[in-house]
Amino acid sequence: MPKQDAKLLQGTLDMLILKALSLGALHGFGVGQRIVQMSADALRVEEGSLYPALYRIEQQGWIESEWGVSENNQRAKFYKLTRQGRKQLQVEEENWERLAAAVFKVMQAT
Amino acid sequence: MRLSYWLRLARTRLRGLLRRKSVEREMEEELRFHLRMRAEENVRRGMARGEAERAALESFGQLGRIKEYCRDFKGGGLLETLMQDLKFGARTLLKSRGFTLVAVLTLAVGIGANTAIFSVVEAVLLRALPFRDADRLVVLWEHNRVRNRPHNVVNPGNLLDWREQAASFEGVAGFADQRFNLTGAGEPEEVAGQAATPNLFQVLGAQAALGRTLLPGDETAGQSVAVISHGLWQRRFGGSPDVIGKTLMLDGAGATVVGVMPPDFKWFVKENSLSGKPAEVWIPLALPDQLRVGRRGRYLSAVARLKPGVTLEQAGGEMETVAARLEAQYPEVDKGWGASVVPLREQLAGEIRPALLVILGAVGFVLLIACVNVANLLLARSAGRRRELSLRAALGAGRLRIVRQLLTESMLLAVAGGALGLLLAYWGVGALVALSPPNLLGEGQVGVNLTVLAFTLAVSLLTGIAFGVAPALEASRLNLSESLKESARGNVGVGRAGRVRAALVVAEVGLALILLVGAGLMVRSFLRLQAVHPGFDASHLLTMRVMLPETKYPEDARKVEFFRQAAERLRALPGVSGVSAVSALPFADIGSATSFTVVGRPPLPVGERWGTDVRVADENYFRTMNIPVVAGRTFTEQEAVEDRKVAVVNEAMVRKYFAGEDPLGKRILVNMGSQPAPTEIVGVVGDARYDKLDGELRPMVYWTPPQLAYSSMSFVVRASGDPAALGPSAVREIQAVDREQPVSDVRTMESWVADSAARTRFGTLLLGAFACAALMLAAVGVYGVISYSVAQRRNEIGIRMALGARAGDVLRLVVGQGMRLVLLGVGLGIVGALALTRLMSGLLYDVAANDPATFAANALLLAAVSLVACYVPARRATRVDPLTALRPE
Repeated sequence: MPKQDAKLLQGTLDMLILKALSLGALHGFGVGQRIVQMSADALRVEEGSLYPALYRIEQQGWIESEWGVSENNQRAKFYKLTRQGRKQLQVEEENWERLAAAVFKVMQAT
Repeated sequence: MRLSYWLRLARTRLRGLLRRKSVEREMEEELRFHLRMRAEENVRRGMARGEAERAALESFGQLGRIKEYCRDFKGGGLLETLMQDLKFGARTLLKSRGFTLVAVLTLAVGIGANTAIFSVVEAVLLRALPFRDADRLVVLWEHNRVRNRPHNVVNPGNLLDWREQAASFEGVAGFADQRFNLTGAGEPEEVAGQAATPNLFQVLGAQAALGRTLLPGDETAGQSVAVISHGLWQRRFGGSPDVIGKTLMLDGAGATVVGVMPPDFKWFVKENSLSGKPAEVWIPLALPDQLRVGRRGRYLSAVARLKPGVTLEQAGGEMETVAARLEAQYPEVDKGWGASVVPLREQLAGEIRPALLVILGAVGFVLLIACVNVANLLLARSAGRRRELSLRAALGAGRLRIVRQLLTESMLLAVAGGALGLLLAYWGVGALVALSPPNLLGEGQVGVNLTVLAFTLAVSLLTGIAFGVAPALEASRLNLSESLKESARGNVGVGRAGRVRAALVVAEVGLALILLVGAGLMVRSFLRLQAVHPGFDASHLLTMRVMLPETKYPEDARKVEFFRQAAERLRALPGVSGVSAVSALPFADIGSATSFTVVGRPPLPVGERWGTDVRVADENYFRTMNIPVVAGRTFTEQEAVEDRKVAVVNEAMVRKYFAGEDPLGKRILVNMGSQPAPTEIVGVVGDARYDKLDGELRPMVYWTPPQLAYSSMSFVVRASGDPAALGPSAVREIQAVDREQPVSDVRTMESWVADSAARTRFGTLLLGAFACAALMLAAVGVYGVISYSVAQRRNEIGIRMALGARAGDVLRLVVGQGMRLVLLGVGLGIVGALALTRLMSGLLYDVAANDPATFAANALLLAAVSLVACYVPARRATRVDPLTALRPE
């Protein structure tokens, strides 16, 4: 896999995580699952990327975590969006739309 | 937002620091929860439970590693990344203690050996000499073109003319080594000193630590003055500052101490300086103009300071012109003589420079082998870390980032190795100085200082890069997605990484062979040297030197009488079977040499006259030394007391100048003494070596004491038992003749002979030690690679055995694979050694640099050791249980 993919993944993964969490608090495994769901099985998040991303984003102050009980009654760490995180998501969404539109235009050009 | 980010970061870090355990636990718990969820999902999809769990684990990579990345991913800046890399590297290294220990020890040996040798090189070849603008100091010699001796001592008349005529120099000083009998308070003692033209100290740019140096005018002033060394000041005067103005009794005459030199002032330039002692007393030497007339004898050393802007070549050219002029002006003295100008540093280091450079090269090879070994270890390890590295790459770490991480680990290893190596070097330098031949390495001169420290640091970092780059690049080359999928037990042993490791083993074996051959040549050379018969029997001989002060024993007869009396007393000692006195001992003293003519033969032109060494010995000398009489007779007792004009010569003299003739009865005129007269050859004795064990045998004339009364003679005492035990009583007997007479260098003859081979022995010892280290490291390298490959090929071997392969087949397979590499390395090593050992041919005695026996023996030795190194892991391979090897993990 060429490393451009990895880069794109890293940039967008943060946004995807924020988006997944915007609908409510989730544990790490749930974040992965929700992204899979939301993308209709098109995207899969590697576990090895997910947790470092979560820690990174938490460090940025966009999400915060606390321990709770999962759907199957196990102790799990839940992540939820902070106010800052919501703002960040908005910024990233706008950026993404701009980028996607621009890329779309380029690809449409004949 | 920035501020809050930093605050949060600080809090996390603090928390991480204070509650490390709980943070770790939380992280682990979270990841475990994830694994359980994943496994459950796999079960829902229809997997068996065990399989589901394994799949979950596999898709996650190993838990511990993930944790590392999570920790690793909390930061941003360059420094932070570096700190992260360092911390991460240190953690990784601490986790695999065995690997780290082996790597650090290997590097410590390599770096330590290099540091130790470099500190010697630094002290001997690089360090600034303790003189002002020492680079402008040169030593001047006369060049004997006929006998091809470019560094001959100087005729004082010529020195005066050089001083006047050569414009290249600011100043020219002459000096002659001299021994003094120091008497007065305390034991009488013989000390080394110099009679020097007082400008010596200005030419050198040396200041006195106390009082003053010699000054021009001292040599003609009526009063005798002396400057002493720091060591003598401490020893004889207890370092008391009121030494200035005190009287020093030198050879029975008083001289006023005017100055004390600083401790680092060490000054001696004798061509064969290694057997000499540094001067401790300096007295003024007068060179009156009368010396220009007659111009007899060459005995001065000379040092000069180049004028600013004058190059060595210019000075050399000018000196040749001046010498040519003198040759034309004084043909009877200067015919065939030129002049040489040698930079002081080259002169001081000259004798050990080639050996030192060879040893530095050898020790560099040891470091190279150590690097190769560690690179191999790293490669094997990075193959095992493929999944981890792939994961990191998948997490967005670029190739550069991974290379940097791996290089940081290498650097950590190298610096740890360097630190340990420095310790080894510190200890090693002590051992080097202790083992080195006398005067080769000055006391307190060689040590670990800032320059050496900088060298070690640079070597460590370079080493880290050298062994780290290949494995790092190799590891970062991994195809990411491929290796993520690949199971941990793939065929890592073959392919690119495997080939690199194989190449490294070949290189390492080759390097080791070069070192082994080099050391082998030195050992052979040393053994040959040891086997040289010196021409006399050195065992059971005690020697000592007595130098009579000229003031107390002015007449020749008194000198002769003293030595006869002392010899008689020595002979009466119990356990003594023979005693004799000789003017210069073999391997200890510097003897006289001069030209001679045979009476009745047409005289030869000046400059082509024959040369011979001259020794004065009594009638017992040849018997005491066990020098065989070949023809005629030795001296009679009568001849040893009265001047009878007889001579005994050695076989070399007969071979060279009396071939096909009977030398007995021939009369020769030896140009020595105040009134040379013809002497008759009455006997021929066997050749005894006086100078060194190697080199050509020189013609020798022996005279009796009355013919040439030396004030300095050495006694040889043959003991029936241990000669060293005779020492104290021998000194007592001599001092019974004169209570104030010092006796010096009371030593066995064997110790003198051993000293003469000390430098070869020292070089042999060092090269041998390094070759042993190389052999060991190479064996470890071969062993490591083969064991690794065996571990990697467990599956394959298991299948082979399941299919019916016997232990012998497996053994052959593994050993064969290893030995192919070893033999390739040996082949390349032979080629390399052929190219490199030529450089050390100057250090060898009676052994060709491409000596086939040495090459073959060392190739065999290396192959045999490597065979063992292959055999041990191969044995392990045969014990692979096919069932365990095939069972999935």
